[in-house]
Amino acid sequence: MKKYILNSFIAAAILFTAACKPEIETPAGSTAGQANFSKYIAIGNSLTSGYADGGLYLEGQKVAYPNLIGAKMATVGGGAFTSPFFTEEHSNGSGYIALTALVNGTPTLTPVTDKLAYRDAAKHLDKYAGEIQNLGIPGMRLDLSFDPTLTFSAANPFFERLLADAQVGKTNYFQFIQGRNHTFFSLWLGNNDVLGYALNGAVAVTGDPTTTLTDKVTFASLYTNMLNALTANGQKGIVATIPDVTAIPYFNTVTVPALLAAAKAINPAATAVYIQTGTGTVRAATAEDLIRLPFQSAGLFGQGAIPYGLHPLNPIANNWVLDKDEVVKVKDYVNSYNSSIKSLATSKGLAIADTYNYFNQVASTDGINVQGVNLKSLFISGGAFSLDGIHLTPRGNAIIANVFIEAINAKYGATIPTVDITQYRGVKFPN
Amino acid sequence: MKKILLSVLLSAPLWVLGQGFQVNLQGQKQIGMAGAGSALALDEASVFYNPGAVTFLEKNSVSAGVNPLLFKSAFKQAGSDITENVKNKIAPPFEFYAVWGPKSNKWKLGLGVYTPFGGLVDWGDNWSGKYALTSLNLKAIYFQPTLSIKITDRIGIGAGFVYNHGEVNLQRALPVNFPDGHSGHATLEGTGKGYGWNAGLYIKTLSNISFALVHKSKVITKLDGGSAEFDVPNSLRSSFPAGNTFSAELPLPATTSLGVGIPLSQSTVLAFDASWVQWHIYKDLTFDYALNTPVLLDKPSARNYRDGSSFKLGINHQASEKLALRAGVGYAFSPVQDGYVTPEAPDADRYILSAGLGYTPTSHFEVNASFFFEDVKSRKQKNIETGLDGTFKTLVYAPGISLTYKW
Repeated sequence: MKKYILNSFIAAAILFTAACKPEIETPAGSTAGQANFSKYIAIGNSLTSGYADGGLYLEGQKVAYPNLIGAKMATVGGGAFTSPFFTEEHSNGSGYIALTALVNGTPTLTPVTDKLAYRDAAKHLDKYAGEIQNLGIPGMRLDLSFDPTLTFSAANPFFERLLADAQVGKTNYFQFIQGRNHTFFSLWLGNNDVLGYALNGAVAVTGDPTTTLTDKVTFASLYTNMLNALTANGQKGIVATIPDVTAIPYFNTVTVPALLAAAKAINPAATAVYIQTGTGTVRAATAEDLIRLPFQSAGLFGQGAIPYGLHPLNPIANNWVLDKDEVVKVKDYVNSYNSSIKSLATSKGLAIADTYNYFNQVASTDGINVQGVNLKSLFISGGAFSLDGIHLTPRGNAIIANVFIEAINAKYGATIPTVDITQYRGVKFPN
Repeated sequence: MKKILLSVLLSAPLWVLGQGFQVNLQGQKQIGMAGAGSALALDEASVFYNPGAVTFLEKNSVSAGVNPLLFKSAFKQAGSDITENVKNKIAPPFEFYAVWGPKSNKWKLGLGVYTPFGGLVDWGDNWSGKYALTSLNLKAIYFQPTLSIKITDRIGIGAGFVYNHGEVNLQRALPVNFPDGHSGHATLEGTGKGYGWNAGLYIKTLSNISFALVHKSKVITKLDGGSAEFDVPNSLRSSFPAGNTFSAELPLPATTSLGVGIPLSQSTVLAFDASWVQWHIYKDLTFDYALNTPVLLDKPSARNYRDGSSFKLGINHQASEKLALRAGVGYAFSPVQDGYVTPEAPDADRYILSAGLGYTPTSHFEVNASFFFEDVKSRKQKNIETGLDGTFKTLVYAPGISLTYKW
């Protein structure tokens, strides 16, 4: 007895000196499951490229969600993941906007104009020639991926920079992404097929294919072609649904009630904000009519002998407004595209990252709490959206990377580790 | 447009107070027996364990002891392949006791100064739960003057008044970024005080089996004028005013214990304690800031603790006239319900193992040493308020030593 107690006391003391760390085991181990991540390619638009704050620049490129996923895939057999990064010398790429002041909640946004990557006066960007796996191109649409005229490859500077001179104007995105010997892919495309239209206040500009609304049946058909090409050799992959574009800060920051309150502060007699709708009607605006974010700095509101936006004779122009009927229409297209995406992916046995569903949670009044961070769909303060009100912050990218990773793991029985979102920033506030 | 900013930043709770904060290290002999011993008139630490037993102590004495405590906690975020550990920081729970009374009289006076609640965790400024917490240093020091009276030769009662001096320093990162990308930081620091009592009944039966019933009251500790410092980019200063202060209430729970002491032989005694820790008073925590802004609201943060309990079994063996050996085992049920586990005190049900020894070189001097180990079970949790999602696992190591002078 005596000896036993003495021994255990000594043993315990030794244990303490060693100060054993607690261990936490991962039950599933480390596996790619049924998937093969040795060569992952990412197909998509600005979101895939890492575009943020109204521009494509190196910091954003490095934290694009496919790059975060690619880095984590490395622990379960993934290979290197290459991207068309701008150089350090030209790290500000296309330029972007920064928050330079914030006074009483009113932001000052200033363009960053140094270290740009423009190679000529026509604003062509530095070419990138190497092998790339992040194939995201800002502005890319599903319909324009199949651009039969092949002209979009010259018109879009982000596409043009990835092409050899001989290819410019002679290829389209669908051709561009093929022949890359991938073993796994992600496809998050189609946002601009509705967003381009919405961002122009639901006004399709004649001769500008980036402002049209892609027909629903056409969308399903082109998406099928895209998936057929990407799975031609039996590759596995993940597709993502399209977020509700009417829920992003771009359409929910300059609100009708806020405009009216601002007008009343100057002229208490103001009774309504007037808009011109998509059908040409002029009427008093309601909270259901959405005003585009750039309106806040356009310097139009209340200006002129007949104050702009405050009188039926001088309403806010149609292209500034997504009126409530247009909102319904845009939502309807998003829903239709998403049901096509989901049913096609399901029939091909692919994983689905339901970003539509996820961003709706972010857009709820309380937002969502992830690892101690609250995210909302609010401009500047929400944490998920960058200063253009459309694209993601590094934190938003990290969170979306985890939505993809969790869907891939669930579908293919893989154990890609998740991204520590707390290592990625939201909006940078001036000091 | 004017009001859109920053309604988010502090909508996650700023502060949480957990259970692992109860520190069961108040006397080397009892610690060696896993914390059992309320039904034994072992020594001056009965001032804490059972004021009713103090009057049965044979000698007057003073003692002082310390139990450097290493709280080793690890966290693995859900889906992650990285385990993060708290930094090695040593908390110093201590105890001081004095017991005096005229020989062969029916009463004794006692004084206890001890640390029944506290916490020291430092996860570092850049861990994956930094927006919930980066570090916490909490101390509660109880001062307890006590009177113990023999009602009969076999029954004693005692009671003490408790004054608590509390100190807290809590820090966390804020999810707002400076131009270089680093996060903001909040530091809340303050001292507070509270009052309570500790009363006990000690009964020694004819068969020499002893019983104890002890109640330690709750101590609502009030903090006033604590400093609330926010290191944020200057453009957010109006939302996080400089020189802000806060007040808060920390409810430290009541504990009711039932103890049994069973002599196995002339030199060996077994002690069993069952304790009921009334954590249900800890419904929520509210920080009342002197200066409120739209992002700095006095928003209650739900805790919804339930009562906790513990069961401890210890043995004390007088191996020789000079040497005593002790050992103990125990088990404690956590008061923290699913969804409320936090990195401040990543609590779960726990096993307790302990060992101890005492050495009495002369009739006046005594040295006691103990080693206390807790294995807090691994617990996978997603916190309802912060969304912090992952698995916690904690081991606690506390060696201790005390010196006693008796006369």
